[in-house]
Amino acid sequence: MTEEPTLHQNEQPVIAVDGLLPPDVVDILIVGAGASGAVVAWRLAQAGFSVVCLEQGRWVDPALYPTRDRNWEVLGRHEWNWDPNKRAAPVDYPVNDSESEITPLMFSAVGGSTIHWTAHAPRFHPSDFRVKTLDEVADDWPFTYDDLDPYYDLNDMMMGCAGISGDPAMPPRSPRPMPPLPLGEDGRHMAAAFERLGWHWWPSDNYVNSMPYGGREACNYCGPLGFGCTRKAKSSTDVNYWPEAIRLGAVLKTYSRVSEITVGNDGRATGAHYFDRAGNVHHQAARSVVMAGNGVGTPRLLLMSKSDAHPDGLINSTGLVGKNLMFHPYSITTGLIPGLSKTWKGPMGNILMSQEFYETDLRRDFVRGYAYQLNRGSGPLTTALGGAHEPVSWGGGHHEDFSERFGHNVILAGIGEDLPEEHNTVTLDERLTDSNGLPAPRINYRLCENSKRLLDHSVKSATQVLEEAGATRIMANPLLRSGGWHLMGTARMGEDPERSVVDGWCQAHDADNVFIVDGSVFVTAGAVNPTPTLQAIALRAADYIAHERDDLKG
Amino acid sequence: MPTADRQLTSVDRVVLKRVMDLVIPPDGDFPGAGGLGLAEQLERSSQRYGRLRSGLLSVLDAMSLDIASRIEGGFAALDEERQIAALKTVETNLPAQFGEFVELVYGNYYTDSRVHERIGWVGRPPQPEGFDLEPWDPAVLENMRKREPFWRQVG
Ligand SMILES: Cc1cc2nc3c(=O)[nH]c(=O)nc-3n(C[C@H](O)[C@H](O)[C@H](O)COP(=O)(O)OP(=O)(O)OC[C@H]3O[C@@H](n4cnc5c(N)ncnc54)[C@H](O)[C@@H]3O)c2cc1C
Repeated sequence: MTEEPTLHQNEQPVIAVDGLLPPDVVDILIVGAGASGAVVAWRLAQAGFSVVCLEQGRWVDPALYPTRDRNWEVLGRHEWNWDPNKRAAPVDYPVNDSESEITPLMFSAVGGSTIHWTAHAPRFHPSDFRVKTLDEVADDWPFTYDDLDPYYDLNDMMMGCAGISGDPAMPPRSPRPMPPLPLGEDGRHMAAAFERLGWHWWPSDNYVNSMPYGGREACNYCGPLGFGCTRKAKSSTDVNYWPEAIRLGAVLKTYSRVSEITVGNDGRATGAHYFDRAGNVHHQAARSVVMAGNGVGTPRLLLMSKSDAHPDGLINSTGLVGKNLMFHPYSITTGLIPGLSKTWKGPMGNILMSQEFYETDLRRDFVRGYAYQLNRGSGPLTTALGGAHEPVSWGGGHHEDFSERFGHNVILAGIGEDLPEEHNTVTLDERLTDSNGLPAPRINYRLCENSKRLLDHSVKSATQVLEEAGATRIMANPLLRSGGWHLMGTARMGEDPERSVVDGWCQAHDADNVFIVDGSVFVTAGAVNPTPTLQAIALRAADYIAHERDDLKG
Repeated sequence: MPTADRQLTSVDRVVLKRVMDLVIPPDGDFPGAGGLGLAEQLERSSQRYGRLRSGLLSVLDAMSLDIASRIEGGFAALDEERQIAALKTVETNLPAQFGEFVELVYGNYYTDSRVHERIGWVGRPPQPEGFDLEPWDPAVLENMRKREPFWRQVG
């Protein structure tokens, strides 16, 4: 840990404003260049629409990610922290999460949160779209797994999915373009323990190259996926969708923070006001606006966009904008297994997955379910600081505690289905602001009883399988506070305009030229990571616009 | 709350080195965090992160104000048992700041190449070399492939 300047401090964007100059009025104005915005930019540029995307962050040169720096673990806790409040960069907005049991995590850049993500790429189950019908909770989605299936496949090709068919926990599906990542010694060891208990496991689907793919290198198993990939082996939308979208003519403006979606007298969107890097305000006129700012950024901007036609915020006649926030609550159970010696070797996240407890089982005391992700140990500093658990003790027992953990720790992350509840909200904070003086989002979030019971169950079962694997010490965190990776539900979709914000094609009920394509539209959360699903939904919405909304083309 | 421009005194530096050795003590013949000569580096690295700097200053202030005022010769004059007890009192009274201080000590110790060698870590950043893993072996799925599909049909 030194005080010397490090690579990442170079703040220059590697590519400035991309593409051609936009026309005065563009067909499609996208807010946010992350996982979902990139998808829509690519698909609609391909379909001949003029596309401009406004992104508050910058391009990040993969060569500047911290994993090449000898202080990589320190940088990961500060400048590259997943939590925008800890990173506190001017391109981020702060989040008031003091009234939330889970801290929302995200990144502001071209590529959005996929810069930081660990690229685990599971799909929802067919049952996830039918929870009301099957389990009498929440609501059904306005489409089915089968409707989404071709878009999942297309996204798997674009992002580059490593995985293997035949999983008995999932419906049959097309082959992935790459074989799975190797399991490693720890993965094989844990797989055997799951099997001895008769429990399901399957190698994870990952958007990480197990071989050269898409003009990008194969993974060299360095470990900390969550700090960005210097080899571009981990897929993020700055290295796949965006270069293609820009080649097709999409214009991407960085350091452009949207402060308001503007509307005409008829209540339809006319474009957006945004701040440039110097703090000047501009207006980009557009025939339609696609919101892709994520499950916190999108409701925040909608609530900031008040007008005579939309006095409670844009497309908020139901009052549902910002409500029903869902994270995936996570439990973390770590086993220390003396028989394993280098658990820091290999991609940190998502070695394998168990979906033994995914579907509702009426013998349990909760509905819906959870999945396990098997994660690895990490570097020495992260181990010493405890990760999801208490730090290694200081004083007399320090070295014993450290050596018991380091290289021997395997982590079972239990990812639980969150149910939508209106009291879990994103609203505008009255005091906290971003670097342009715009109100920061405020999160109010409480875990429901069902989630608590489900997480308790996940810790008990994880303990059982870790014991089976020979763990001599088990540490459990029944709710990871700093685990708000997945932001969903805050502008839900549905067929009923009284009970939802957008329809099944992501088109707003209140304004037919406003679309939302990020996790805000999720009706329920499933119990797997959401990004392949939200990207598939975004592709489907883009195809709807391309085929059914020719009126939006100038 | 110490002011941000507060500088460490020579007494602080003596205390710091000792406290670092209490936080991460020697391991057999391998020196503790203070004995490794990391105190100066810790002081410099704390300049970079305000949160950690304030943890360091708060802990040092607590040690000097509280203990030095009560005991002649200050913290250094205490025997090890009482030094540990004093540190535990600071931990109880200032848990957040103490946590930041510990983070700073661990941050300097566990990024030191001598420590890396000692604990068996590769002692380099993860990139560009990465690591080797045995190739993917489809045979590991032999048992799982026998299991009947169990995903829930939705009709
Ligand atoms: C550390 C980490 C690990 C993760 N791991 C996984 C994983 O393994 N698998 C998985 O499926 N998911 C994972 N996720 C979640 C995943 O990254 C998100 O689901 C996904 O990126 C969401 O896509 P999005 O387009 O909705 O939003 P984002 O990707 O967050 O992009 C939103 C973009 O909008 C921009 N924006 C917001 N407001 C404005 C505004 N007013 N003006 C201009 N720009 C704006 C932001 O700067 C940002 O770049 C992880 C997330 C994190 C943080």
